Amino acid sequence: MNRILILLFLSISFLGYNIKPEQFIARQGQISFFSYTTAENIEAKNNQVLSIIDLSNNEIVISMLMNAFVFKKSLMHEHFNDSYIESDLYPKATFKGKIIDFEPLTATQTKIVKGTLTLRGIAKEVEIKTTITKNNENFLLTGEFEIVVEDFNINIPPIVAPNIAKIISTKFRFEYQLYEK
Amino acid sequence: MKNNLLFTLISVLFGSIFSVSAQDLLDTLDKEYPDIPQYEIATFKTTRISIGQSIENRRKGVLQLMALNRYWNLADSNIQSFVADKASSRFAFEYAITDKLTTGGGWTTIEESYDAYLKYNVLRQRKNTKKSPLSISLFQNISYKGDRLIPDNDIDFNERLAYTSQVLIAHKFTPKFSLQVSPTFIHRSFSLSDSDPNNYFALGFGGRYKIADHVSLVSEYYYVANPITSIDTYGAFSLGVNWDVRFLQLQFQMTNARSMVEDGFILQTPNNFNTNDGNFVFGFNAIFSLHLLKKQL
Repeated sequence: MNRILILLFLSISFLGYNIKPEQFIARQGQISFFSYTTAENIEAKNNQVLSIIDLSNNEIVISMLMNAFVFKKSLMHEHFNDSYIESDLYPKATFKGKIIDFEPLTATQTKIVKGTLTLRGIAKEVEIKTTITKNNENFLLTGEFEIVVEDFNINIPPIVAPNIAKIISTKFRFEYQLYEK
Repeated sequence: MKNNLLFTLISVLFGSIFSVSAQDLLDTLDKEYPDIPQYEIATFKTTRISIGQSIENRRKGVLQLMALNRYWNLADSNIQSFVADKASSRFAFEYAITDKLTTGGGWTTIEESYDAYLKYNVLRQRKNTKKSPLSISLFQNISYKGDRLIPDNDIDFNERLAYTSQVLIAHKFTPKFSLQVSPTFIHRSFSLSDSDPNNYFALGFGGRYKIADHVSLVSEYYYVANPITSIDTYGAFSLGVNWDVRFLQLQFQMTNARSMVEDGFILQTPNNFNTNDGNFVFGFNAIFSLHLLKKQL
């Protein structure tokens, strides 16, 4: 009986080593957001977004520094970080979620990514429609979604309200490679 | 009994091998961040704290057009002008040649002075690895005093010049609070009397406290080590509010300084700071930023 137990333990641990979860990382993901109003159009881009996809459970996490967003007009960068986002207090925005029904072997697919977006310490449940393309061993994720400014306690003073949209449209593009630890 | 134990052991093993939580992944991501310098921004937000210069420079290609105004009443006077007895204005521009170097020039009605300056940002306070605790900028100003000089009227160009050099040193303590120290050296080609020196040493102190997203409280004081002795002079002091509205920055201040050029307000402020007529000066500055070079996204 003891020998059977030992054999069982050994075989299970070997089983564990064979099924190694594959992780993919995007180191220079791009996120850009647009605010369209009749008074002014504002656009910013962040080329330093990090993300990891874990194929064992279809989990995806995204992390970015808010002060890495670049604006066409440089003074906007100061206002964005000092007055609106307050990036001294909340330096990063993160996303934790799952790709629903992800098929790792399909060439092109459109799936819903469901999870929590955390910005300025406030967490919001979001569902984002994502196009996933597989190229050799790399994945490309693109898509767009909307952020409601009010949801994250971003205070827009009435005097500038006509220049900043209440709903910001956001686009993303991540290219993933195999993650070698 | 033994079978139950086996079952739980197997399920625990399976569970521990296959679970990779999202929080672990986020922690892994945090370690993958490259070591890009994180500099402090918005130490003072404006390029002048209130009456004097701050360490801030605008980024390359930004042109600032500035109108600075001071209003004060005269003691013992019955002048019934609108708003105030006396007013003084300065019109200036500032252009950021590079991210670190700004040049500027201006014209002031009081003393009819023209001045030009350069401000160079030597060091920026850095947050992450290779921390630098201070932001340091160098400021050099040349000013030309156009109006009547005491005691003599016939003074040629060279003798109407003053040179101000400052080392501006600032530290942002919290997202809301910053302090600056400005050791200053001023050389004046002219002097009001023979007993006054031509070279002066001064020390400026300035601070900013953010009271709302776009509004901050600022204060400055300048101490002169070897002041002018032929007339009464006092240290320039200012208490004010800065308000940012998109590309327009407004600064309101209560001060005793009537001049808006460094050698003027640091050296020749004739009255102490209080609310009496003749002492109290109300000032407001409007700074408009134009982006002549826009970044490609």
